[in-house]
Amino acid sequence: MYAFISPWIIGFTVFALFPILASLYYSFTDYDIIHSPRWVGLDNYREMFADDLYWNSVMVTLKYTFISVPLQLLLAMGFALLLNQKLPFKGFFRTAMYFPSMVSGVAMSLLWYWVFNPQIGLFNYVLSWFGVKGPAWLMDPDTALYSLIIMSFWGVGGAMIIFLAGLQGVPTSLLEAARLDGAGRLSIFWHVTLPMISPVLLFQLILGVIESFQVFTQAFVMTHGGPNYSTWFYVYGLYTSAFKEYRAGYSSAMAWILLIVVLIVTYIIMKLSNRYVYYEGGKSR
Amino acid sequence: MITSNRMQESEVWTANRPRRKVDFTRVLSFILLILITLTMLMPLVFMVTTSFKAQRETMQYPPTLFPDSLQFSNYVDIFSRLQFGTMYQNSLMIAGITVLATLLSSSLVAYGFARFRGTGRNLMFMLLLSTMMLPYPAIMIPQFVLFSKLGWVDTFLPLIVPAFFGSAYNIFLLRQFFANLPEELFDAGRMDGCTEIGMYWKIALPLSGAAMATVAIFSFIYSWNDLLTPVLYLNSSDMFTLPVGMASLTSSKFRVAPWHLLMVASVLALLPIVILFILAQKRFVEGIVLTGIK
Amino acid sequence: MVNRKGKWSTRMLAVVSALFAIAVMLSGCGGGNSSVGADGEAVTITYYTIDSPDRTFVEQLIPDFEKQHPNIKVKVATAPYEQFDSKLQTMIAGGNAPDITSHFGYGGFAEYYNKDMLLDMTDLLKQEGFDADKYKIPKNLMDIYQVDGHTYGIPFSSYVTLLLYNKDLFDAAGVPYPPSDYNDKSWTFDKMVADAKKLTVLSDDPNKQQYGLQFGWGELDNRPFYFGAKMYSDDTWKNGGMPSETYFDSPEAIAAYKKIFGLVFDDKVSPPSEWSASVAGQGGDPFVTGKVAMSVGGSWILSGANDFGFNVGVAAVPAGGNDKVRSTLFVDPLFILKDSKHPKEALTWIQYLLQTDIQKESIELSGGTPPVNQEAAEDYYAHFNTIDPKDLKNVYEGAYEYGYESFNHLIANYSQINDMMINEMQPVQNGSARVEDVMPGVQKKMEEILARTKK
Repeated sequence: MYAFISPWIIGFTVFALFPILASLYYSFTDYDIIHSPRWVGLDNYREMFADDLYWNSVMVTLKYTFISVPLQLLLAMGFALLLNQKLPFKGFFRTAMYFPSMVSGVAMSLLWYWVFNPQIGLFNYVLSWFGVKGPAWLMDPDTALYSLIIMSFWGVGGAMIIFLAGLQGVPTSLLEAARLDGAGRLSIFWHVTLPMISPVLLFQLILGVIESFQVFTQAFVMTHGGPNYSTWFYVYGLYTSAFKEYRAGYSSAMAWILLIVVLIVTYIIMKLSNRYVYYEGGKSR
Repeated sequence: MITSNRMQESEVWTANRPRRKVDFTRVLSFILLILITLTMLMPLVFMVTTSFKAQRETMQYPPTLFPDSLQFSNYVDIFSRLQFGTMYQNSLMIAGITVLATLLSSSLVAYGFARFRGTGRNLMFMLLLSTMMLPYPAIMIPQFVLFSKLGWVDTFLPLIVPAFFGSAYNIFLLRQFFANLPEELFDAGRMDGCTEIGMYWKIALPLSGAAMATVAIFSFIYSWNDLLTPVLYLNSSDMFTLPVGMASLTSSKFRVAPWHLLMVASVLALLPIVILFILAQKRFVEGIVLTGIK
Repeated sequence: MVNRKGKWSTRMLAVVSALFAIAVMLSGCGGGNSSVGADGEAVTITYYTIDSPDRTFVEQLIPDFEKQHPNIKVKVATAPYEQFDSKLQTMIAGGNAPDITSHFGYGGFAEYYNKDMLLDMTDLLKQEGFDADKYKIPKNLMDIYQVDGHTYGIPFSSYVTLLLYNKDLFDAAGVPYPPSDYNDKSWTFDKMVADAKKLTVLSDDPNKQQYGLQFGWGELDNRPFYFGAKMYSDDTWKNGGMPSETYFDSPEAIAAYKKIFGLVFDDKVSPPSEWSASVAGQGGDPFVTGKVAMSVGGSWILSGANDFGFNVGVAAVPAGGNDKVRSTLFVDPLFILKDSKHPKEALTWIQYLLQTDIQKESIELSGGTPPVNQEAAEDYYAHFNTIDPKDLKNVYEGAYEYGYESFNHLIANYSQINDMMINEMQPVQNGSARVEDVMPGVQKKMEEILARTKK
C-alpha cells in the first residue's frame, strides 16, 4: 500500500503540508519575498482586520457565493429534472447544455467580456429587443458583480450532468412504490428523489462554495478587480498584495484566514447534512 | 412537436397519470429546453461568427449574426500578431504531460487506497479528502518561494511536476471506482500469479477506461485553463501558455481591443476541448455515472 | 505483503524519478540564467519590456545584434503595462531577474532606485569607455538618471505630452486645426474645450456617437499640476522621491479635478470611462477608433499613427493656468538591474540600441518611438504620413521648453500610488461620487502608502 500511495505522500508533504506550515509562519512576519522574513507577531492580522479593502473583498466574495452557488444548484437541478424525462432530442439538449461548462477559464472570460460590452455586446442587444436599455454591466460598480454571477450560470452544465447521473441512479422500484402509495409528483421528488440524490447535492454544494471562494480569472481578465473594487475578490486581493505590493506576510495571513474559513464552511455543511443527507445503507465514506 | 406515438413509451413515474396532463408538462418541458439551449448556445454561435468578422464590423451596433464578409485571415493574423503558435504548443505540451502524469500517479495512489488496509490508511484518506478543499492561493506563496529556490521560475516545471504526485480530486474519483471492482477478479489474478502491480496494470487499469477518461478530461481542462500558476511563474514571451497570452488581449497591448481576435483566440482555445469531448463523450458521461460522485 | 512492499517501493521510486527526469528534460529550459559567462561562451541576457507593439519591436533587432555579437544571446520577457511592475518584482523574487529594463510600467526610476534594484553603472561606463556624445544624447537628459554623480540609467527614448487630433473630424465639422506653436497666446484650455464642443456628437445611435476630447495629461496624480495645483511638497524632488507632505485634498487640487472630470459630466465633451472601455477595451485608446476628435497624452499615443486609418495632426498642449508647465516629459532610460550576471553584455546591447542607425530603424519598426539620439530626431519628426514634420518639431521643442519630468519617474513607490489613484478615483470617473467627497480619502490613502514607504 505505502509503495502505491508514496507519490501522494511525497506530494502531500512537499506541495501541501510544507506550504501550509510555511504560510502560517510567513503570516506572522513582514516578508517581501526578496528579503528574509522578519517576525512581527500578529501585526498582519491586526492590519488586515482594520483594512476596509480586506472587508470589501470578503463582502464581494460572500455576496458572489451566496447568490451564485444556490442559484447555480437550483438551475442545475431544474435542468436535470427537465432532461430526466422521455423527450425527443434529449441527447442533443444534454450535450448543448453541458458544453458551455467546459468553456471555462480565459476563453470564457474573453467571450463574456464581449457579451457584456454595453456598446457592441450581445447582452444589451438582446435586451433592446424587449425595449430595455441595458446597464454598463462590467463597467458599472453596481452591476459588475451581478454580471459575473450571471456568467457563472452559463457553467451549470457540469453540475447538471452529475445531478442527471444521480437522478438516473435512483432505483425505479422506490419511485414505483411511492407512486403506488398515491404520492404526487412533487411529493415523490421531495420525499424520495431529493433524499436519494442529497449526497450528490451536498458534494456539489461544497465544491461550488469552495470554488467561488477562489474566483480569480474573471477578476484578473475582465475587471481588474474594479470598477471601484466592486469585483475585488478575496483571492484577487490576496494575489495583489503578494505579487503587486510585495506584502507576502500580509497575504499569507489572508491565505490562512481563507483556509480556516473553508474548513469551517465544509465542516458546517457536513454537520448540517447529517440531518438531511441520506446515504445508501448508512454506509459512510 | 411532441408526437403522440412517443407517449407509448412507458415512463415509470408518469404512466398512471391522465394522458392530457402528461402531454402538457412534456410540451412545456420541451419548449423550455429549447429556450434554455438557445440561450446557452447563443454566445458560442456569436463567438464563432464574430471570429470571422473584420475588425471594423465588430465595432458596429447592433452586432451582426453573420459576417458581411468572411475574414479567414483572422485565423492567420492571430499567429503572426500574438505568437499564438508558440503559446499553443506550450499549452498542449504542458497539458499533455500533466494528463499522463495525473493518470499514472492518481491511479496508482487510488489503487493503493482502494485495495489495501495498511495502518493509518483512514487517517491518510481523510487528509487526502481535506486537501481537496485546500485552496491553491493558500499555498501559493510558499510554493513560489520553494520553486524559485529550486531555480524553476520561467520553466514549465512548476506547472508539471506537482501532477506527478497525484491530485486529490482525481485520486478520490478513481478510488471510488477501484473500490467497486469485484474482488473475484483480483482473486483470479492472484491465482494466475499476478503481483499487485501486475493486477493494477493488467486488471484494474484496463477495466477503468471510463473513469480514466473522466480523469484525463478533468485534468486536461484544468491544466489547459489554468491562469494563476503560469502568470506567476512564466516570464519570457516564448514560454507563455495560451491563457497567459490570451489574458493580455484585454490589456493595453492593443490600442483598440481586437474583438475579432479575442473570439478567434477563444475558438482556437476551445478546439482541443471540443475534440476531446467528442472523442470521449460517451465514456465521459459513463464515467461520471460509474464513479458516481456520491 | 511486507516483502512485496519493500521490492515495490524501490522500483516505484525508480519509476517516479524516471518520470521526473523526463519532465525536466521535456521542459528543456534549464534553470533560468544559469549559463556561465566564461570567455568565448555565449551568454544570455534578458530584456524586459511591455507587450505592446511599439515596445516589442526590439525582437526584430535581435538577429542582427546576435550576428554582430555571436557570444551574446538576447531573450525578451514581456508583461502587459498594468502588470509590468508586479511581474518585475516576481521575476526578481524568483531569482530570475532580467538584465536590462526600463520603467515601462506605473513605477519609475525613484521607486527602483529606492528599492535598490538598479546597478550603479558609473564604473562600468568608465571601463567600457561609454561616451554619451557618440550617441548624441543631450547632457541634461543624461543627468536625469544620475544621483550624486553616479549613473543608474541611460536615456534611450524621449516622450512628451502632446495633442493629437483627427483631421477628418475637424474637416467634417468645419473647425480650424489647432496650432502647433506653443507661443500662440490664443490657444488656451477654454478654447480647446470650446472646439471640442463643436466636435462632439451626442446620439442614441452608438454608430454616430462622437466625442471632442480626451484629456490624458500625465498620470492622474500629475493632472492638477497642469492647472497650477501643487500635489507634493517641494522636498520630494530633492530627497529621492519621499514627499513629506501631499495636497490631494487642497482647494486647488479639488478645483482642478472638478475641471478635469467636468469635461465628462458638465461640458460633456469627453467620453465617460465606460464608453471608452466599451469601444476600445479596458486598456485601449478610443481615439484610435476615430470617434474622438482630440486626444491629449504622452507621445506614445502617436505611435502606429500611420495605420490609424484616418488623417492625424499634432498640436501644442494649450495653456491651462500653469505658466511654466504645459507638457509632461517621460524620458525612458535603460537600466541594468543589480542582479544581472552579465552587466558588460547588457551594456553592449544598450549601446547597440543607441546607435544612430538603429535608433532610426527603431522608429520604423515601432511605428514611431521618439529617439533620444538627436541625430535620429529629424527622422522621427518626418515619420508620420499625415503630419507636417515642422508641426511635430514645434510640438517637441515647445514641450521641452514647457516641460517637467513626470512624477512617476521621481516618486518612490509610485506603482502603488498610481494603482490607488486609479481605484479611488473610479467613483468620480463613472459619475457616482463627487470630487470633493473622494479627495480626503485619496489624501489619507496617500499618507498611508508614504508611511509604508518610509518604513
